[in-house]
Amino acid sequence: MKILRKLALGAAAVALMASSAQAADIKVGSVGAVTGPIAELVAAIMSGRNLAASHVNAQGGLFKGDTYKLVLGDSACDPKAGVDAGNKVVNVDQVVAIVGASCSGGTAGMVQAVTIPAGVVTISDSATAPSITDLKDNDLVYRVAPSDAYQGAAMAALIRSRGISKVAMTYANDDYNSGIAAVFEREFKALGGTITANQVHEPDKPSYRSELSTLARGNAEALVVFAYYGSSGIAIIKNSLETGLFGEFFAADGMFDDSVIEQIGVANIAGKLSITQSASDPEDVSYKIFAKAFTAGGGNPNAPYVTHAYDASFLMALAIEKAGSADRSKIRAALRAVASAPGEIIRPGEWEKAKALIAAGKDINYEGASGNVDFDKNGDVGGLYTVNTVSADGTWKNTILR
Amino acid sequence: MDQTYGLFLYAISLLTMGGIYSILALGLNVQWGFTGLFNAGIAGFYAIGAYVSAILTTAPSVRHLGGYEVPYVVAFIAAMAVAGVIAWGVGKICLRLRSDYLAIATIGIAEIFRLILKNETWATNGPRGVSMVPKPFETLPEPYNQLLFLAMILLTVAVIYWGLERARKAPWGRLMTAIRENEISARAAGKNVERYRLQAFVFGSMLMALGGAYTAHYLKFIGPNATDPLTATFLVWVMLIVGGSANNKGAILGAMLMWTIWSATEILTSRLPDDLAIRTAYIRIFLIGLVLQIVLQKFPQGLLPEKRQ
Repeated sequence: MKILRKLALGAAAVALMASSAQAADIKVGSVGAVTGPIAELVAAIMSGRNLAASHVNAQGGLFKGDTYKLVLGDSACDPKAGVDAGNKVVNVDQVVAIVGASCSGGTAGMVQAVTIPAGVVTISDSATAPSITDLKDNDLVYRVAPSDAYQGAAMAALIRSRGISKVAMTYANDDYNSGIAAVFEREFKALGGTITANQVHEPDKPSYRSELSTLARGNAEALVVFAYYGSSGIAIIKNSLETGLFGEFFAADGMFDDSVIEQIGVANIAGKLSITQSASDPEDVSYKIFAKAFTAGGGNPNAPYVTHAYDASFLMALAIEKAGSADRSKIRAALRAVASAPGEIIRPGEWEKAKALIAAGKDINYEGASGNVDFDKNGDVGGLYTVNTVSADGTWKNTILR
Repeated sequence: MDQTYGLFLYAISLLTMGGIYSILALGLNVQWGFTGLFNAGIAGFYAIGAYVSAILTTAPSVRHLGGYEVPYVVAFIAAMAVAGVIAWGVGKICLRLRSDYLAIATIGIAEIFRLILKNETWATNGPRGVSMVPKPFETLPEPYNQLLFLAMILLTVAVIYWGLERARKAPWGRLMTAIRENEISARAAGKNVERYRLQAFVFGSMLMALGGAYTAHYLKFIGPNATDPLTATFLVWVMLIVGGSANNKGAILGAMLMWTIWSATEILTSRLPDDLAIRTAYIRIFLIGLVLQIVLQKFPQGLLPEKRQ
């Protein structure tokens, strides 16, 4: 009896090993600025990407039970690191495709020096520089984060719609914030607004009082801040309130974080700060599904670019499944097919359904948590924006900008 | 694609970047190793070289100055020349300062250059950088394009090494050591100390600019993030100190070793579970510091100490 049981156990173990030997890992690079200036944003972005992978793997995985495996690469917001990370995931890990990178500079280096020559498809979830659009990319570079051009315009329209015509603006001197600021300046003037002062600032300074006193000279009605919350945004708003130079603030999505309310204090900031954000329609079905799953895992679904991160990662899985094999050259065509109409609508988490449809040879159309993710000819997506304001109870209230 | 072939391509990229860092470390070796000039502004000359070469070779763009499309060799020489002229001006003013004061002055000057390059948007596209920089040999098929680029870098390292070894053994090298070890006696022996210090400073800075120029073409992109002092100044210092200052072989060894640690450890850490993989990214930075500590404790002169003759 004992021997029989042992034999049965042994057979089961062998069977288990055999099945795990059949199921391979399908590797996809997950490149992002895990260290460096936006590390705090990237941690949440990585959870978004990983959530999509866990949804895929929990519902049957890729192909015949293969694991969708994200291989991390650190692009550190630095093109040197981006190229290095790209080289590693492409050559050492032999990934099929790449989700990433973060930061437009890191992405520009990685895609031009590594992935375009190697013929690897990339979907970035957070590179927003307009210059990414006009790279000669053989249709290999995609992004689900809208180009900055859209957010700057959305914010200009928002401020004008509140009846404000004179603002002062300041932006952190980095690729991301300077890009949105330039678009905002142009659009706000086009809508008949006046910019009383425009001052660039370097991040990570202990105080911004001198910049603020320059900015305050033109009797502006509000201050528009383009900055990351951790490195300068919070300090600028704090300094403004302390000196009483500005009482109303507008900011772009680099400022969106709970620590803004915690560090400045609800009483000081309630009703005074509006943050535009490339985000999803909170009433949207896809977004709700994502938000529920992401919150259950302890994440904040409103953190910058987490919806985009999920979509980039999930879309990549769909494209690989559609391509039918882990072949780099087939992903490009498959990606466009699964991202846009025609086809049955697939929402976040609906991997089993999508897999069945692809197996049956039917078209699918992924409608993501961040929007419809229909790529245009440059591999870009249009964006939807919300405005977040601080309520008296210390929570964010968000409204869609139409 | 074959796994072995992939590793081969990665080895090329590792050696390419290691080679570029070797050029920087050799440049610093001329200044610090031979002559004892504490230049903490490597990133400044590196950035000047990178931008000059990128702008001179890139096709016209509305975003930045460009459209000159000169041959690579001309661009490399121009990058070194511009950096040399600037280093001459900086050296004239600052080289009278001693060790730590010179470090403070050079760090400040390097930041000034980096900020100028970051803020003169009409010329450099500001914080968003210069894209679509051409790369030598890029039209050839893989892997020959990468191999030839690597060969160009390694050949440069070899030529610089050969030149510096000759210079070190020549009277010029002994004079530099004399200035470093005892400036007053060198002066008493009738040597024009200022002139030789300036020579070393200008020559070292030109090598740093060449390293920067190669980087811009290798990345096909140059932006302010790529000239961050952490990876463009302090990492080079760590490389030289670990390898052994005043030893040219040591400079190359240090550069290759530290870049391998910086880059290749990620292959191990990225295999960890998701949460850990994100956290261990910082351990790689910590490792650099740890290696520096161990080397300083066990080999105070670096892995390959200076050879006296």
